[in-house]
Amino acid sequence: MTANLRLAVRQALLEQRSFWRSAEYALFTFALPLTLLLIIGSTTAGGFLPGTHVKAQMIFVPSILAFGVIVAAYVNLGAKLATLRHDGVLKRIRTTPLPAGAYLSGVFGSTAATTLAITACTGVLGWLAFGAVPRVSGLAEIAGGLLLGVVCFGSLGLALSSLARSAESASPIANASYLPVAIMSGIFDPTFSVPRWLSAVVGLLPVRALAQILQQGYTPAAHAPLSDLVVLFCWAAAGSALAIWRFRWH
Amino acid sequence: MTEPTPDLAIEVSGLRMSYGARQVLRGVDFEVRVGEVFCLLGPNGAGKTTTVEILEGFRQRTGGSVRVLGMDPADQQASLRARIGIVLQECGFPRQARVGELVDIWRAYYPNPRPLDELLALVELTADKNSQVRRLSGGQRRRLDFALALAGDPDLVFLDEPTTGFDPESRRRCWAAIENLRVLGKTIVLTTHYLDEAERLADRVAILQDGRVQTAGSVRQVARQACVPTTISFTAPPALRHGDVAPPGCLDVEVSGELAVCKAANAAVALRELLAWAAQNELGDLDDLAVATPTLEDAYLRLVTGGTR
Repeated sequence: MTANLRLAVRQALLEQRSFWRSAEYALFTFALPLTLLLIIGSTTAGGFLPGTHVKAQMIFVPSILAFGVIVAAYVNLGAKLATLRHDGVLKRIRTTPLPAGAYLSGVFGSTAATTLAITACTGVLGWLAFGAVPRVSGLAEIAGGLLLGVVCFGSLGLALSSLARSAESASPIANASYLPVAIMSGIFDPTFSVPRWLSAVVGLLPVRALAQILQQGYTPAAHAPLSDLVVLFCWAAAGSALAIWRFRWH
Repeated sequence: MTEPTPDLAIEVSGLRMSYGARQVLRGVDFEVRVGEVFCLLGPNGAGKTTTVEILEGFRQRTGGSVRVLGMDPADQQASLRARIGIVLQECGFPRQARVGELVDIWRAYYPNPRPLDELLALVELTADKNSQVRRLSGGQRRRLDFALALAGDPDLVFLDEPTTGFDPESRRRCWAAIENLRVLGKTIVLTTHYLDEAERLADRVAILQDGRVQTAGSVRQVARQACVPTTISFTAPPALRHGDVAPPGCLDVEVSGELAVCKAANAAVALRELLAWAAQNELGDLDDLAVATPTLEDAYLRLVTGGTR
């Protein structure tokens, strides 16, 4: 067991080194959420949400934190695995006695590290530029939300990479599946409104659930976050099951 | 299931494989001995890659029995993968990894890895240790394939068309790497399109056609089984060219221009006849007398296409 853990850590370190070596890829992975944060912040920061005393930045900063998790764990991991499979790297791994769990844990661990770095940068920028600081008592929500979010969206990314028929299609499928949901979930504009029935559907999807858990870490919300946790947990379980069930080496 | 034989690395008997209604392998039988270079030949679509992928554990066979190092590859045992090395036909690398670190992490996957420097030296990549994989040439990538396949110091190495698309220099270096493996005592299973490659490297070959092993044995045995005649050639003496002397009756001698060619099943008998005939007719020494034993290519073409050259 400890040997497998050591292998996973080693794999994660190699993945991290490779990630930072492709500077362009790393730069734009970080640039996307940070740029969006600045654009949204420049128009709405300082104001209040309509009909409340909640400052806008206490909502949009954690929303962009959620967005960063989705891009890094779902879109990037899904596309990366699809490419590794297409290039035959997974098949090559399969020729060795390395346990599948150790390899995938390593890749997953590296993705988690990248995701946490992105959310850290987003959080710090939100504080420096807009003065958004999490509540001390909300840190547990943020930590738990990030952890569950990475597992949930990472496993969905893994599942997506197996379900996509070609490496080229993984990225467009990822974008087409999360972006409309993110807009409907109010990630970029908390006042964005959709029909009641659609809102009910969106409430069952993991995007709004993650955003609301993280928002809870910045400002206490009216509703209890328990239902969001349940939604996110169910998607994490479903995503993991689907990822394991459909995983292909070649 | 019979007990595995210790001096056999691979035993295949009655191997069948179907994709839907299409039968690709219809009862393949062969054995690979420990320490030999064994080459699978055959036209495209004959089932070479399917056979090798079943041996490697990538495909589940439809029927028949297969033993690789005494284990059934269908069981997907890590203990089997720890003892075999595989060079796949076309297979990518993590592009941003460096040569040295990639080989090194591959070593960590195996219980008894070869030393890093030894691996790099074996495939002539020592100078490229710090290069990123994406900057390597095609030949260098192929040699990196070899290094990764050898990282665990395997007993058995599979090479699926290792030199396809190579320039002559890269092929020569790849051959040298395979020769190195033979010296190390590894058992090697090779598939290839190139008959000169098989002839040069293989101890034994099997020709796969229409889902069956058509012929198997050493290169010499296969050539003999194909009944390809030995070619004896010499410069035709003027007397023969001008029709003053008839060619030896019992031999099939064809004269075209200055060259006389004689094809014979038994080279020794034919030569004796030929020299006796030359002495009898006072033709002196036959200039440029040459005896060409059949090549694997001759045998292959005769067996596979039924044609002659």
